[in-house]
Amino acid sequence: MGRVWSILFFLVPILAIVTFLMAMYGVTPLETAWLPKSFSDAGDTIDQLFNGIHLLSAVILLGTGLAIGYALWKFDHRRNDKAAYFHHNTKLEIIWTIIPAFILVFLAFFQMKSWTENKMNRPTMTIGGEEVVRPPMVMVKAKRFGWEFYYAGADGLVETQDDIYIENLLVLPVGEDIVLQLESRDVIHSFFVPELRLKQDIVPGMTQFAWFNSKEVGDIEIICTELCGWGHYKMKADLRLVSMADFKTWLEEQSAEYQPEVAQLDQ
Amino acid sequence: MAICAVALLGCEKSPPTQFRLNAVEWLKLEKMNGEKLDQGYKREIGDLLTALFGTPDDPDFPFLQGEEDPAHDIISLDNLKLAAGPVKSDKKGAPSGLYREHCAHCHGVTGDGAGPTAAILNPYPRDFRLGKFKFKSTPLRVPPTNHDLKTILKEGIPGTAMPSFRTLPDEELDALIDYVKYLTMRGMFERFLLAELPGLDGASYIDFSLISKSKEGEEPSEDDVEEFEEQIYATVGTGFQEDILDRWLNPDKKVTKIPPAPAEIDPTNPSHERLVLEGRELFYGKGNCAQCHGQTGYGDGQASSFDDWTNEWYTPETHDDFVAIGALPARPIRPRNLHQPVYRGGDRPSDIYLRVANGIEGTPMPASAALSDREKWAIVAFIRSLPFEQAVDQSAKPVNEKQVAR
Repeated sequence: MGRVWSILFFLVPILAIVTFLMAMYGVTPLETAWLPKSFSDAGDTIDQLFNGIHLLSAVILLGTGLAIGYALWKFDHRRNDKAAYFHHNTKLEIIWTIIPAFILVFLAFFQMKSWTENKMNRPTMTIGGEEVVRPPMVMVKAKRFGWEFYYAGADGLVETQDDIYIENLLVLPVGEDIVLQLESRDVIHSFFVPELRLKQDIVPGMTQFAWFNSKEVGDIEIICTELCGWGHYKMKADLRLVSMADFKTWLEEQSAEYQPEVAQLDQ
Repeated sequence: MAICAVALLGCEKSPPTQFRLNAVEWLKLEKMNGEKLDQGYKREIGDLLTALFGTPDDPDFPFLQGEEDPAHDIISLDNLKLAAGPVKSDKKGAPSGLYREHCAHCHGVTGDGAGPTAAILNPYPRDFRLGKFKFKSTPLRVPPTNHDLKTILKEGIPGTAMPSFRTLPDEELDALIDYVKYLTMRGMFERFLLAELPGLDGASYIDFSLISKSKEGEEPSEDDVEEFEEQIYATVGTGFQEDILDRWLNPDKKVTKIPPAPAEIDPTNPSHERLVLEGRELFYGKGNCAQCHGQTGYGDGQASSFDDWTNEWYTPETHDDFVAIGALPARPIRPRNLHQPVYRGGDRPSDIYLRVANGIEGTPMPASAALSDREKWAIVAFIRSLPFEQAVDQSAKPVNEKQVAR
């Protein structure tokens, strides 16, 4: 292979890594190609893991790219004798098995804390001196094609008579551990909020929980990320993250609609 | 070769979208008459409707009294233009064709509730042409207010395929509301024309020859145009204005006033249980709710009725003929299962009060004229308590209770 070709081949990993770094640091024209801004600490941790794995892959891609490029350049057939063919080198094979295996095991352990925090250890709260898992603040019912939200009313429990129902709009406070109870009315859906780095499949017949703690106020979107039918593309809801005070006002407004005007009525 | 053919076909312009004739109503007329009707009327009705209401791409509305027409309060042409036409957005990203983007796949371009996805949905999407709306704040036979229609768009109809369109901006919702009213009135007028048909005795609705002379290179004379307009007004003035348009003027004035509820409606009130039990008595007794909703409230009482949209044409003998020309197969209407906290018209006590007080248009659910305000609220309290585990006894009463009590 000619030297021009070896340079072209060598350019592949270089270009890939340059594009990737441009996207990561928001250099024009790739400002919007990377992940949206993270809204939570857990999201930041997930981003760090994600970026770490990407950087690791970049190093590996660069290393292999350089090695192949060097070999193409150095052993150009016009400038060298015919190559000798041989195979099987136990030592080499052990090395290239052990190193990636070590990397994978390292990653498995390294992400474990984030996984347990985000998917296994539901946030707790103290009631009467006892630490209990936090009850869900909102029950989410996914359906074709929309999101139903049932807020726990005054009693703090969902699936009771004082639930407050609203479709396609979820308003939640920031700086608070939020637990959502996820259920499906029909098929498999998936609850996805990119800004919170939160994604949870919802399987019919199963009750699942998801939680997060947002530190940012803002209007973002909840989208379904499991193909659920012809209207999947339009299965979106607004997620409005507001301060605790604003949230309380909003919830009171909603719950006021459930309280009809009262008076003494004759039997 | 095949790819070229597909590519060529793909480039061919599709024919413009058109409103469909109310074929079910047509067949119903033929069955009633016992003979085939003159097919020429189909064209004539189509022409008349197009002259007054335009086409799906270019909607119009018969403002018969010009600028002064009170219909301007009901329908805005700007809103119609925003909602009609093919789905697209201009250079600034402002969308148009909202109805076809969000609604037509279920409700159909004509608003006949027979869009491409309709047959797989239960309940079927609403056919607007009958002019009946279920969930509204007005009594039976009064159209819904704009606020009612907007509530439906914003909140969806839980338990059906109608989703919430809360994420759309307000002005787009307003446009869709006007377009739904437009399709409703167009559909009602079409039904009016069809109903007139047997009385015509073979004559035309309107003498179209008065204005179609231009085909022969001749402009219609002023007298002819005037006479044509008079004829349209004669047809429309009685039918459209009185039977359809006037009903839609100011439904806000007819909104049912929700009376104050007894304080016990609040579940935390110590006497709440008494109100619920009162409601339970009414459910089985005076209110007669159990007859349809079942002794247990599971919606398994009367399960063989149809809604008005089906009753319009349904008979067991002719069912298949109607299905063959596009009617959706008849399904009995199910009384609501009250043990599930899913309420189509909204789950607030005031929503349920309206359903109890006004009934549900187009369904066997009647208005409860005989009940006092307190009794209606007691039923609301009972209904709202049913889906949840309560200290109050919810079990069915023995069917032979009366005999036992004797």
